[in-house]
Amino acid sequence: MAAGVAAWLPFARAAAIGWMPVASAPMPAPPRDKRRTQDGLIVLNISGTKFQTWRNTLERYPDTLLGSTERDFFYQEDTNEYFFDRDPDIFRHILNFYRTGKLHYPRHECISAYDEELAFFGIIPEIIGDCCYEEYKDRRRENAERIQDDEDNENNNDLVLPDMTFRESMWRAFENPHTSTMALVFYYVTGFFIAVSVMANVVETVPCGTMPNNRAKEVSCGERYALAFFCLDTACVMIFTVEYLLRLMAAPSRYKFVKSVMSIIDVVAIMPYYIGLVMTDNEDVSGAFVTLRVFRVFRIFKFSRHSAGLRILGYTLKSCASELGFLLFSLTMAIIIFATVMFYAEKGSSGSKFTSIPAAFWYTIVTMTTLGYGDMVPKTIVGKIFGSICSLSGVLVIALPVPVIVSNFSRIYHQSQRAEKRRAQKKTRLARIRAAKSGGANAYLQYKRNGLLTDSEEEASKEAGQALVCKSNPTFETQHHHLLHCLEKTTNHEFVDEQTYESSCMEVSMVKPSASRSSSLSSSPHGLSSCCSRRHKRKSFNVPNSTMAAGCRDSMQELSTIQIRERPLSNSRSNLNAKFEETVPLNSEQQPYITAAVISMPTPPVTTPEGEDSASSPDYSQSNIVRVSAL
Amino acid sequence: MSQCRKRCKRQLTKVARYFYRFLTGTLTQDSIEDDFELSTVCHRPEGLDKLQEQTKFTKKELQVLYRGFKNECPSGVVNEETFKHIYSQFFPQGDSSTYAHFLFEAFDTNKNGSVSFEDFVIGLSIILRGSINDRLSWAFNLYDLNKDGCITKEEMMDIMKSIYDMMGKYTYPCMHEDAPREHVESFFQKMDRNKDGVVTIEEFIESCQKDENIMQSMQLFDNVI
Repeated sequence: MAAGVAAWLPFARAAAIGWMPVASAPMPAPPRDKRRTQDGLIVLNISGTKFQTWRNTLERYPDTLLGSTERDFFYQEDTNEYFFDRDPDIFRHILNFYRTGKLHYPRHECISAYDEELAFFGIIPEIIGDCCYEEYKDRRRENAERIQDDEDNENNNDLVLPDMTFRESMWRAFENPHTSTMALVFYYVTGFFIAVSVMANVVETVPCGTMPNNRAKEVSCGERYALAFFCLDTACVMIFTVEYLLRLMAAPSRYKFVKSVMSIIDVVAIMPYYIGLVMTDNEDVSGAFVTLRVFRVFRIFKFSRHSAGLRILGYTLKSCASELGFLLFSLTMAIIIFATVMFYAEKGSSGSKFTSIPAAFWYTIVTMTTLGYGDMVPKTIVGKIFGSICSLSGVLVIALPVPVIVSNFSRIYHQSQRAEKRRAQKKTRLARIRAAKSGGANAYLQYKRNGLLTDSEEEASKEAGQALVCKSNPTFETQHHHLLHCLEKTTNHEFVDEQTYESSCMEVSMVKPSASRSSSLSSSPHGLSSCCSRRHKRKSFNVPNSTMAAGCRDSMQELSTIQIRERPLSNSRSNLNAKFEETVPLNSEQQPYITAAVISMPTPPVTTPEGEDSASSPDYSQSNIVRVSAL
Repeated sequence: MSQCRKRCKRQLTKVARYFYRFLTGTLTQDSIEDDFELSTVCHRPEGLDKLQEQTKFTKKELQVLYRGFKNECPSGVVNEETFKHIYSQFFPQGDSSTYAHFLFEAFDTNKNGSVSFEDFVIGLSIILRGSINDRLSWAFNLYDLNKDGCITKEEMMDIMKSIYDMMGKYTYPCMHEDAPREHVESFFQKMDRNKDGVVTIEEFIESCQKDENIMQSMQLFDNVI
């Protein structure tokens, strides 16, 4: 029942008076109105903006936050109002919903902000009124597509599972050439050969002077240098064949790959050659063979793997299929009409080229597309009149569907442009976010260094005197630091930052005998790319012992290896201060002070959106270290 | 012959005008008549005090009633369409349009096709705050479709059918075709004292006062607002 008519319920009940005299049975007892709540005003304070409404207005929808007792959680006794810390602009629309029964979607608001507010107040978006529903759904779909796009790109480009099979890595190399050097090389080589092959096809037909033995006949280059062109063709086809077979092998779903458009183009591009090999030099068959050579020009479509613009064009044509169909249909209709008219108009004149209606088709097409070759012209006056009408209408008929196709192309093109831009922006955004986060994480280490810990020694307190970095720490920060400290105490390990970790790594390497070096190398899984070796790459720091496997991964993978090392707490504080936790793969003949053994597991980067800098991520170590055994 | 010629001339002028319009474009000027339709009829009720005198509602009750009224009908009057629409929201299963039509006729005391807030509130006042006799005579007024002072069998049949229509199709037990007619028969049995085929207001009130059930059901309206 709509909200507004709830106010008319007394009227409906009063109108029941018409039933009373005719009723044969006694009426049921009326409901006792237990709480005769006076309809009072309620004050809603949304982030300072005060809204007021009748209590009954809100209670029209008892299954939302404002209409149910849930709003009591937000009641402020002292000011006798309900306070919500939300956006007042969007709340205006929500309150209007209670008042009018219709929920509207403001076009200038962000769709996700709006959705959040609706979810908070317990209103399902399906009741958005018809006036705004379409717009809402469109924006929502756009947003979802964009998120989906981003996810797909992420999955495609950045996610490198360390244990990808050779087949998967090959497929990935084919689909995203920029991921590895080999793939890039392969990409450019195939592109080059496509170009060469197409050029060869073209140049083959250019007249090239006369044959050495037969002076009279002018031959094409293809016939003159037949062997050279044949070798070139063979080479290209071999490369294409190899590429196709490799793709076929690497494809995750071979059946789907074989059905795909690109693979069909590949096949069509190389088939003529093989068929030509197989065919004999028979006279009748060679005619067909010549026709087959036409298909070699399909090689040029292989460029669509290399050019995004070409793909967009193809996609546009596909999506505008109905407009194109309409264009074709209307043109056909017009052609038939005008051809008929012209034929009968020109029937009388002598020597007219309009010998039949199909012959007039050619004239009509040439005229409607404003080409006007002039090989067929009307000679009678009637013919000329209708010819001019034909050319005028041709312009109209063609001009109508074209803007639709153009706008489609433009939309798709801009979409892909935006996707590219987003991808490019994402890198810088990530870098900036990372910097900001590392700042926050470093705060804890700074805090410790300043010796605000309760069991600090004089050394620490000395340091506290210096760097007055700790601004007046808000309660949140102090509680957070306390939490991290508790974790340290629990695990008997400490958070450190990069430099100290690095130096300790050096210490380890220098102290450790070489035997352990090799064994540690063997025992480390290949996923463990250490901070050491990474830093090794960055600072070109020559760590004599790279205990961990080398291999620099990108940002996401930095997280996959955090290693913990226990330090006996007997060491002096200054040593321990700001030391990063690291692990060395356990070996029985480890140094006396290396005792703990935990191998971290390569965690999926998704779970650690923060703390991409492994050295400065106490949060990360909290969430990703599964267990530490203190020995 | 002259008629033929006249007709021909008329057709020719029509064709000529058509071609003229075709050549000069088809934009027509906005007709001035449209402007008059835009202004909506807005009716304001009499003052709150006056209404308070005329009805037996308190100021607060009138306020609540007016707010609900104005929400659904911002123009200040209800026409039959809106009336039917509002009433149908309370009876989703059946077809309440006929009964709503009769109600509308009953509320629209000055027969101008629309119910203003005064009519609305006066009617409600009688039903909800009036004496038993007032209520009964209001009900009689509702049944008397042509307002001639007596209820005939046909009128009662219409009313009964409209009430039964509101039930809709899905009832238990299943609705007979002649359930309304039987009901009307029993009603006339009870009400028509002198068996003359019509029920006058005196017969009606008298019979109702004798019936316990009806008297009790009339009390239901005391606590509606």
